[in-house]
Amino acid sequence: MLAYLQNIAVLFCVNAMLAVTLNFIMGYAGIFSLAHAIFFGVGAYTAANIAMHFSDSLFWCVAGAMLAAAVLSMALALPALRVRGEYFVAASLGLQVIGVTVFSEWKGVTGGLGGLVGIPPPTLFGHALTTPGEFLALAVAGLAAVLLVTTALLRGSFGRSLMAIRDSESAAQAAGKWVAAIKTLSVAVSAGLAAVAGAIYAFYMSFVNVEGFMLETSILLMAMVIIGGTGTVFGPIIGAALLMLLPAALTYLPFLPPAELGTVQQIVYGAIMVLLMMYRPGGLVGGRRKAGQA
Amino acid sequence: MSAADPAVLLRLSGLSKRFGGLQAISDVSLDLPAGLITTLVGPNGAGKTTLFNMITGHLAPTAGTVYWLGKPLAGLAPWRIARRGVARSFQDLRLFTHMSVLQNVTTVLERGSWLWQRPIDRGRIEAVLRETGLWDKRDERAADLAYAERKFLSLARIMVRDATLWLLDEPASGLDPRSFERFVALLRDYAARGVTICIIEHNLDLVTQLSDRLAFLDQGRLLACGDPAVILKDPQLAAIYFGERA
Repeated sequence: MLAYLQNIAVLFCVNAMLAVTLNFIMGYAGIFSLAHAIFFGVGAYTAANIAMHFSDSLFWCVAGAMLAAAVLSMALALPALRVRGEYFVAASLGLQVIGVTVFSEWKGVTGGLGGLVGIPPPTLFGHALTTPGEFLALAVAGLAAVLLVTTALLRGSFGRSLMAIRDSESAAQAAGKWVAAIKTLSVAVSAGLAAVAGAIYAFYMSFVNVEGFMLETSILLMAMVIIGGTGTVFGPIIGAALLMLLPAALTYLPFLPPAELGTVQQIVYGAIMVLLMMYRPGGLVGGRRKAGQA
Repeated sequence: MSAADPAVLLRLSGLSKRFGGLQAISDVSLDLPAGLITTLVGPNGAGKTTLFNMITGHLAPTAGTVYWLGKPLAGLAPWRIARRGVARSFQDLRLFTHMSVLQNVTTVLERGSWLWQRPIDRGRIEAVLRETGLWDKRDERAADLAYAERKFLSLARIMVRDATLWLLDEPASGLDPRSFERFVALLRDYAARGVTICIIEHNLDLVTQLSDRLAFLDQGRLLACGDPAVILKDPQLAAIYFGERA
């Protein structure tokens, strides 16, 4: 039972990190990305490859993962963010589709559909992290670090610039804000931090394949942010907890046949979204007022 | 006057703008002399806001050039033009509605990166918020302000900057008489400090009280520019303004 709870807790932390980093651009900059799972995947594959071929140092693996995801995100953001918001959504969807194809086909780096197996445990100051307890501590530390970095950025001038752009891009430009650079940087930060979650996930599972980085994951992450509350500090964490615990909770309902759990889960997700849009458009934490609404 | 004439802060030279089949601005040439208040008047659809958008870089002219202190602004992004000293307000205000009054004003002053920040003059922010009567509301969300307060916040975001040219798009529309007087007094005060102001306005009280020069636009063409008292008395322009043209 303890191992089961630890497993849920680690995966919750990974998902919460992803939701927090997606909320960083979605909730504060008004940038809707459907490619967050790709940045998560790039982090996972990069960390796995560094650990398998170069160094199992957690520091280098995480740093490499962050760099790779940030650079990729900038390649997407630099052209896409110069146009209106909906084009970024379309461009990110394109990246998501291309990313899944690359993850599936680039066998030399991703292992193809079979994925990468036998990822060695990471080392921290020479100590190999192997036990579930150590991974839980790592995941909690990762979540805390992501929260700390995003909150620090959002409370400073960078956060104010992001929110100004979200509220009125033309007014922010007229006030001298270099909007394209600020938005590109915010996407790079978000992707880089999502890669931290990817690295922790890869090491925890000691195996990665494309299944974890599909469009469904990007949509699930977006649902976590919306259900929890966009533009709030704790909303994405609450959303991640709800959507992570829901499948686990459903398995305890004796009247549900196990074969139907997946279908029921989708119905419950959909019903939650509809009810939230009707009664709490700002999300569970955001309250009754819709995010972005005066 | 040459394009580099120091008395001319901004020069529009042969400016035109076409949107598909619509000629929004046709060959407009206009100088904004430093330190004066120039008002753009004209019926709806005359192209006044389009002119502002071309000055600030939000729209690229189809033809013609905008000169700032004698140098062309062509191709510069709006944020670069803003940093040269051009500040503007919008007809629909475009406040940062989810941010507090203080944050609205603070963010327009902030420049730099995560590692380095230009120091912010917090005393200046307080002074501007007191001048506009918003100091006591500094922690309220912009979205929660009354209409007149929003108008003053829009102005405060401009006042706090060291901009030399203010472009104000219908800044006083919808203000009650008391707020209107305070608004006019503020504009007069800043004009006296040397700020060059260009206003789009329908309120003829504001036009007559404030303007040093008046430019009359209709259907994208500049029909007249000069002394407000003379232009406002022109019966032909009055007929156009009040929609009585043949």
